[in-house]
Amino acid sequence: MEKIIIVVAVLPLFSALLIQIFAGRIGRGIARLSVAITTLSFLLSVLLLSLSLAGHDPLAITLGNSTAIMLFDPLGTLLATIILGISLIVHLYSVRYMAEEDAYGQFFVLLDLMTAALLFMVIAGDLVTLVIAWYLVGVLLYFLLGHDTRSQTAYRFAFWTLITYRIGDLPLILAAALLYNAYDTWSLTTIFTEIMANPNAHQVLGMPLTEVVAALIGLAAFARSAQFLLHTWLPYTMDGPTPVSALMHAGIVNAGGFLINRFAPVFIHSGDVLNWIFIVGLITAVFGSLLMLTQNDIKKALGYSTMGQMGFMIMECGIGAFSLAIYHMFAHGIFKGTMFLSAGSVIHDARNDDGIPKDELYTFAVEKQPNKASQPWILMAAITLAVPLVILILAHLLIAGDYFQKQGAVVLLFFGWVTGAQLIFATYRMRSQNVWRLVGLSVLSLVVVVLGYVFISHAFDLFLYPDPAFRSQLYTAASIDLLRFDVLVVMITLVIVSGWVVTYYAEQRGYRRRQQTKHLWLNFYALISREFYISDIYTRLARTILAVSNRLNIWLRWL
Amino acid sequence: MTESIIILLAGIFLPLFPLSMVFNAVIENIKHAWLRAVLFVVWPLCGLFIVLYSKVDIPDWVLPLALTTSALYALRMLSLREVNQWNGFLATSLWSLVWLAVMQDTSAVLLYSYALSMSAPLVLLVLLSAGLEQRFGAAYTELYGGLARTIPRYAGVLVTVVIAAIATPLFPTFFIMLDMVVEAISATPLAALALLLIWLLWSWAGARLIQGLIVGRASDIEMVDMNVTTISFFSLMLMALIVAGLYLSGVIL
Repeated sequence: MEKIIIVVAVLPLFSALLIQIFAGRIGRGIARLSVAITTLSFLLSVLLLSLSLAGHDPLAITLGNSTAIMLFDPLGTLLATIILGISLIVHLYSVRYMAEEDAYGQFFVLLDLMTAALLFMVIAGDLVTLVIAWYLVGVLLYFLLGHDTRSQTAYRFAFWTLITYRIGDLPLILAAALLYNAYDTWSLTTIFTEIMANPNAHQVLGMPLTEVVAALIGLAAFARSAQFLLHTWLPYTMDGPTPVSALMHAGIVNAGGFLINRFAPVFIHSGDVLNWIFIVGLITAVFGSLLMLTQNDIKKALGYSTMGQMGFMIMECGIGAFSLAIYHMFAHGIFKGTMFLSAGSVIHDARNDDGIPKDELYTFAVEKQPNKASQPWILMAAITLAVPLVILILAHLLIAGDYFQKQGAVVLLFFGWVTGAQLIFATYRMRSQNVWRLVGLSVLSLVVVVLGYVFISHAFDLFLYPDPAFRSQLYTAASIDLLRFDVLVVMITLVIVSGWVVTYYAEQRGYRRRQQTKHLWLNFYALISREFYISDIYTRLARTILAVSNRLNIWLRWL
Repeated sequence: MTESIIILLAGIFLPLFPLSMVFNAVIENIKHAWLRAVLFVVWPLCGLFIVLYSKVDIPDWVLPLALTTSALYALRMLSLREVNQWNGFLATSLWSLVWLAVMQDTSAVLLYSYALSMSAPLVLLVLLSAGLEQRFGAAYTELYGGLARTIPRYAGVLVTVVIAAIATPLFPTFFIMLDMVVEAISATPLAALALLLIWLLWSWAGARLIQGLIVGRASDIEMVDMNVTTISFFSLMLMALIVAGLYLSGVIL
């Protein structure tokens, strides 16, 4: 098994090296070589995953006499398979998509190196390998996004990505340095064992080391996963090649969720940091979704959609649902990857036929003609609020009876309920001959989605964190004072339900607004359409720093 | 008194601001590339020799001054467009950090290998810069651009050398920086933060240099790209640096 593990990790590097050496001799055939090697690597990773699923113990392989360790635990094995799977799809897609581009071989070299860096990141069993891989992902992404060297814009935004990633590297390096100083080892397994045995053994500047490290890891994850204030690179990096966008949105941007999962034994003893992570994730999810809805550029809207999803993923970590974040990462990766890779075909087909049936959904979603015929509102309100709740509770009770004793579970349930209720709420407003048929279909699809989601997420939970005590500790660490929690849930519920009521009456009035309210709304819209001026502020800051640099050089006579 | 003179003398070679200006003035006036390359190797070794041979006690004020010097030059690199000047400023920023290693009681052999590892990519950049001057008359960013299209092999080597110089894994300077942060974090956490900030500024400056040279449309004038022998030389040097980095990682981490 050890040999297979080493081969899986080394194959993409080997592929990059072969392409670099033979690019001149075998021409465009290098793409087939790269695809063949990635396929082999993927198949071997599937074999490893199946061994892991069959109950094979985690394995740590030390490379020679170095500090480098490759750790094949459930998290590493699962993510290695996902990375290689997505990378294989991107490779296959790129064979023809990039055929007309210059530097065809260089693109595959970078793609293989990126695959290798991502692989080493998820299987790193020591801090040095983790830091190296984490760092290199940012550097390689910079060159992949800037593959078209003619485009100043592509490089400009690739630079935004690079600098944000570098900002995110710093807390990880600090965390690594602190852990090494405290435990005198780079091995993650040893460090986590010692932390589990005695979590409060070390202090930094009067604070528990675990909390400081958890906060730093959180910051590193925020930069990588485009959390609010560190998100500006994501919506703007659409000038890179489509396969790179797919790889980035489907895989690379999810690394924050992975990092938090990798350091789960540290987060168990850092409840406050988890609460903070939840808040950042929540803000990101709200702002990402809000900005997505108001963009008139479809590419930017996709970027903000990913930002919103990343917010949800980080939020899941913040409530202790660590394995759910991995499931989210996997599901979102497949969804977003498909969107990017099929974008070209969709545009091509749409030029001939938009393919949109002029049915109820079209009149509702495209022509914005909601149903004005009123239904008995008490009955509708009851269905909207009760049906999703019942479905969610029953689905969760099926898999774990004690599920609702965890606050994190209640939060997830709450979001599931809001989403389900929103879905049913939307169906009333659609023009339809038979509104009950629509409601029935919505409820049925909700049942399928919820059951699938609940069972798969439970399977992820059992696979990634087989120890029930550890799983329970994660949820406990993320919990807050019960009274505060209940008040928060009630308040947020009221806000959401009020939003629905306002929307309902606004539609009834045909969206007519009073003059003052209209002015306020326009200002708010202007603020959102300028993306809260965050990227403008960063640009101004960067220009100021450059001006200071220039001024210093003039004062010091360029010496 | 003698100690102060020794520190001041060493401060010219392991740059401490404002003595750091001496090195940059010297580099500015040397036009021959090979001589410049030799200077990049010898200069920090002279500083180390003075410090280690004299066995002088390093005063506490050297640490903040060394960090300030490094940060100042890293910041100033951001607005530079001339490659040789950029290289000189990076050297100043890197070598001033050797003071930290000296104060962290690092062994003499390791200190010399630190200085040499820091200088090696800078020497390669000196040679590449000379090649640009030969082809275009000046090694200047945003002047001609588009090197990735005009002379792709040259651009590839140039990018890799810049990456090596700004402490990117797996090159030696990355491991040196990591070691310095690890050593500093317990005794002087502020120094560790300063090191990280300097590291970030190098990345920024490196990206600006790369973008200013390689991005853009191909030049209308035909240029001779790097030949196979020269590529092999640079590739070997870069491979040697990676091997040295990995070896250094085993020694220092």
